[in-house]
Amino acid sequence: MIVCVAVVGLQNNPLYLQSFTEADDALKLHYIVHCSLDVIDERVNNPKKTGSTMNETFLGLLYPTENYKVYGYITNTKVKFVLVTTDLDVKDADVRSFFRRFHSAYVDAVSNPFHVTGKKINSVFFAERVRDIVKSFGTNTTV
Amino acid sequence: MNTRGVKHKDFGGLDNGDDRAAFLNHAYKPLSQFVLDDTFREFEFRQYLFACQSKLLFKLNRPVEVASRGYSFIISYSKALSRHENKLPFCFREVWIISACLALINATVSRYDGGLVTPDVEKEFFRLQGDLYSLSRVKFMRLAYLIGYGMDIEKSPANSAALSMLSWPRPAVWPSVPPDASTRVAAKEKLLQSSPKAKHFGIQRKPLPLEPSSLLREANRRRASLSAGNIFELFDGQHNLTPKDGPGADGSPMTPPPNKIPVSSMSRTNSGPVHFENSSLIRSPVDRPMKLSEVHVAAEHALNATISDPDLLKALSSVHDFELKYLDLTKGAAENYNRSWWKRHGVVLDGEIAAVCYRHGNYDLAAKSYEKVCALYAGEGWQNLLAEVLPNLAECQKILNDHAGYLASCVKLLSLDKGLFLVQERQAFESEVVRLAHSEMKHPVPLDVSSLITFSGNPGPPLELCDGDPGTLSVTVWSGFPDEISLESLTLTLIATFSADEGVKVIKSSSALVLKPGRNDVTLPLPPQRPGSYVLGVLTGQIGNLRFRSHSYSRGGPPDSDDFMSFEKPIRPVLKVSKPRPLVDLSAAISSALLMNEAQWVGLIVRPIDYSLKGAILHIDTGPGLKIEESHMIEMESCNEAFEGFGQIRNSNNISTDNSSTGGGGYERLPLIDGKLKLPDWASNLTSVLWLPVRAIDDRLLMGTSAVISQRQNIVDGMRTIALKLEFGVSHNQTFERTVAVHFTYPLYVSTRVSDKCKDGTLLLQVVLHSQVKATLTICDAWMDLQGGFVHVGKDDGRPTPGFFPLSICPSSRAGIMFCIRLGSTTNGDESELLKSHSILNIRYRISGDRALGAHSPMVHDGQDASTGSRELLFKSAIVLQRPVLEPSLAVGFLPLPSDGLRVGKLVSMRWRVERLKDIEGEAPSIHDGEVLYEVDANPENWMIAGRKRGHVSLSLEQGSRIVISVICVPLVAGYVRPPQLGLPDVDVTNISCNPAGPHLICVLPPTLSSSFCIPV
Repeated sequence: MIVCVAVVGLQNNPLYLQSFTEADDALKLHYIVHCSLDVIDERVNNPKKTGSTMNETFLGLLYPTENYKVYGYITNTKVKFVLVTTDLDVKDADVRSFFRRFHSAYVDAVSNPFHVTGKKINSVFFAERVRDIVKSFGTNTTV
Repeated sequence: MNTRGVKHKDFGGLDNGDDRAAFLNHAYKPLSQFVLDDTFREFEFRQYLFACQSKLLFKLNRPVEVASRGYSFIISYSKALSRHENKLPFCFREVWIISACLALINATVSRYDGGLVTPDVEKEFFRLQGDLYSLSRVKFMRLAYLIGYGMDIEKSPANSAALSMLSWPRPAVWPSVPPDASTRVAAKEKLLQSSPKAKHFGIQRKPLPLEPSSLLREANRRRASLSAGNIFELFDGQHNLTPKDGPGADGSPMTPPPNKIPVSSMSRTNSGPVHFENSSLIRSPVDRPMKLSEVHVAAEHALNATISDPDLLKALSSVHDFELKYLDLTKGAAENYNRSWWKRHGVVLDGEIAAVCYRHGNYDLAAKSYEKVCALYAGEGWQNLLAEVLPNLAECQKILNDHAGYLASCVKLLSLDKGLFLVQERQAFESEVVRLAHSEMKHPVPLDVSSLITFSGNPGPPLELCDGDPGTLSVTVWSGFPDEISLESLTLTLIATFSADEGVKVIKSSSALVLKPGRNDVTLPLPPQRPGSYVLGVLTGQIGNLRFRSHSYSRGGPPDSDDFMSFEKPIRPVLKVSKPRPLVDLSAAISSALLMNEAQWVGLIVRPIDYSLKGAILHIDTGPGLKIEESHMIEMESCNEAFEGFGQIRNSNNISTDNSSTGGGGYERLPLIDGKLKLPDWASNLTSVLWLPVRAIDDRLLMGTSAVISQRQNIVDGMRTIALKLEFGVSHNQTFERTVAVHFTYPLYVSTRVSDKCKDGTLLLQVVLHSQVKATLTICDAWMDLQGGFVHVGKDDGRPTPGFFPLSICPSSRAGIMFCIRLGSTTNGDESELLKSHSILNIRYRISGDRALGAHSPMVHDGQDASTGSRELLFKSAIVLQRPVLEPSLAVGFLPLPSDGLRVGKLVSMRWRVERLKDIEGEAPSIHDGEVLYEVDANPENWMIAGRKRGHVSLSLEQGSRIVISVICVPLVAGYVRPPQLGLPDVDVTNISCNPAGPHLICVLPPTLSSSFCIPV
């Protein structure tokens, strides 16, 4: 189950963070997303070590812990998407497909002329779309 | 490891001491014996394999690789342990991981010298160390929570993230309460009863969970599944509500979803007075649910059985020991993360250390660590996380009396997203700021409120001021305070955009003001500024004793809390002070001349040039020869009205007697007091005409001239000046000075000529009247007072025929009057008449003109009836009549030169004949005695004169007497030269007739050639 998706801006500032837990504990997800930036930074700054190619947007599993997994994705404008899931056996393809759809939703949201680049995304439509994408996560795998 | 095909073996891990990881020690157990006995189990085998591997790697001096592989091993091994958890002792997995992590840390750190690795590898090593510490720390916290130390674990996001998503241990049997544990249960009860510490500033926030689901529920569920088989596992949610839980079952707290309930309140509810405080019930715990304190006691009991490591046992033996170990692990993790790429992990763990430091009163260290955490969150705009930590920092700073830090923290708290705190909480922050501001601070601190108070110029074009003008600058100040806040003062700096060396100008609000939450419009008095455009610089102000500054501009919106990284914003000028330019123009309304010696309106056009003349004062100072008619008020009217009937001739008298002095119609009569005049408000912005009643004074009598000579009147004579000084502007700071020249003239200019000289001695004197004004003159009467020696012919006063009058003279046209006079003296023999040297031409006339055009009828006094219309005026001009010139008395004739011509160097005799033409009567005295003075005038370059140039010759006084004067001259140059002239200095040239006239030029030949130098051929 996806517990959180987040968009983190160029300056590592949170642009959008939505938790999907029932409990009122979004703050811990803020913490997880924030700390995952360490890993993203490390991957982006040391591409050789991680072996990722220059144009690879999908950063893969950032954070294997016992209880949850954190996946990352970086757009060509250095905006990061972070996905936190408690599902411990997730297919990479599912996550890739999720991020691809999420990216297109994000692009649509920031293409709104009333959106200020670098500011938080407050679009209700975007939130709804994200909810749909999260809901359909893992159901239709496209490779 | 593939165990299929062989007989099923136990997993292992049940031996004493198995809880201590042996994956780095291959000789921990007699493994060769196991092989022989065929009792080799997975538990030992995997550890053995890794131990061998690590031994090899250590030998190869690759401790980093050991750490890396070790960490992966621990993770995967942990999974294996969790698979067999129900066969292993309670919390075996957690205990093993703790010991494995610590063992791996010790082993790798002791072998790591850090000398031969690249920085990247080094950072990776420290990251792994941090991970190992962090993992052991999480497991350690889990154990501590199970045994009831949850109240001492900070409910921070980091801890919550680590613990709340970590599932509970799943033992086959949830441990039950040991016998005779009532004292321990009571102790735990007491521990649980300690109230959770209140948040600072009265912040009410639900603590973050440290448990994946309620421990009480989990424990009881697992126990219930034991008593009633696995059926209850299937009805997971419902079994809590089953009434068979017994009379003491306090089911109500379990009803709502466990995560929604703060753990502290739940623990309190469950550990309240209970009915079954009975040891017999404790002995049969399976029959009834356990209380939380019992769960803790049971867990502690079971753990003591599991753990063989005395250090770990000790660390869990008391809260104090737990904290020491917890601090140890956290510090280890933080330090290592700080040396790795993962700075955020490190800093966040520093915050966890700070929480412990705070609990123990080590506020200094706590503040330092919290500052780091806050800086991390604030730097990247993670406001939700910042809102969690910042109150803690503020509290530390408050305790440490760090006023500056505390205030800054309060301001930061206020400037966070409004949704993060309740209104009351925000009000608490503000009241703290205000309380400190009004308290006696030993060292008043400056405070940066850029994030809280922003300011901007008003939208729209900037305020435009003229050079030297003061003004009021209106700015919008956004206050992020939740309540009104009163400021003692407010100042703004203006920065000139044109030059950096200009410095900043400070403008200050004159009075204290109260900032409302949200938008405030503040007006500040603006002293005169130098030309240029200005932008807002810094806002400073004072709340009580507190000086605050704000550097942030807003774009007309509220302080943008999201804008933590906007260093530069487009700066719009708020003030433009224009370069000095003409603001007003004063000029004469008409260029044509006015009547001399009469009361006339002179128009002054007051033209504001995009500038208000409100309250302006005009100083009027007339120059010599001009005075203001005090009897009249000054009139002012709008320029359009004054000149709208431009073509029409208006009677200015009608205007002057118009009593409507209301300003609405753009017409007003104004008094002149001490040479000063206050301009009315209606004329502030429109071009208006000021009519000054003046009279130019000229005492001289106008002289007529002869038409032959045609000498015009000197224009300077009629020039008069009015010095004007206008004081205007907001505070009369602007002045405009101008001297206006006004021309005055007599209405007519008179020239005369004798048009005919009749045989009977009558002279027809034609008097030509040239109109000098742009107004129609109507001549009503004209007469001439003649000087001595002249008399009118016929009638006695010399008036022209009355039927000719009135005679109209259009502007710039001429008219003529003929007078018949003759030489002679008046019959009445009036001596005074004889003595007059001038004739006086008197003309009675009326003038009809418009003051908007030029000369006009003189104004009447206020009391005078306006119906009299234009009254008759008298014009006088002097005319000099000269007696006719008589015949010459002497004639000078140039006698012909010799016919052979003149040559250079050859003497020639010049001869003049002087002849007396008439008898001398009243001539010069020198001539009376028959002597005539002569003088020969010649250019010395052309002529050499031999003999006397000047001398007297006698000439008889009789008419017709003549004499020849001859002078010997030598021409000096060849060519056409002017001959010598004979002059008679004593005789007026008019009395000399040149007859025959001498030649202008005569021809002088070159000298004859000298033959003495010729050589005969």
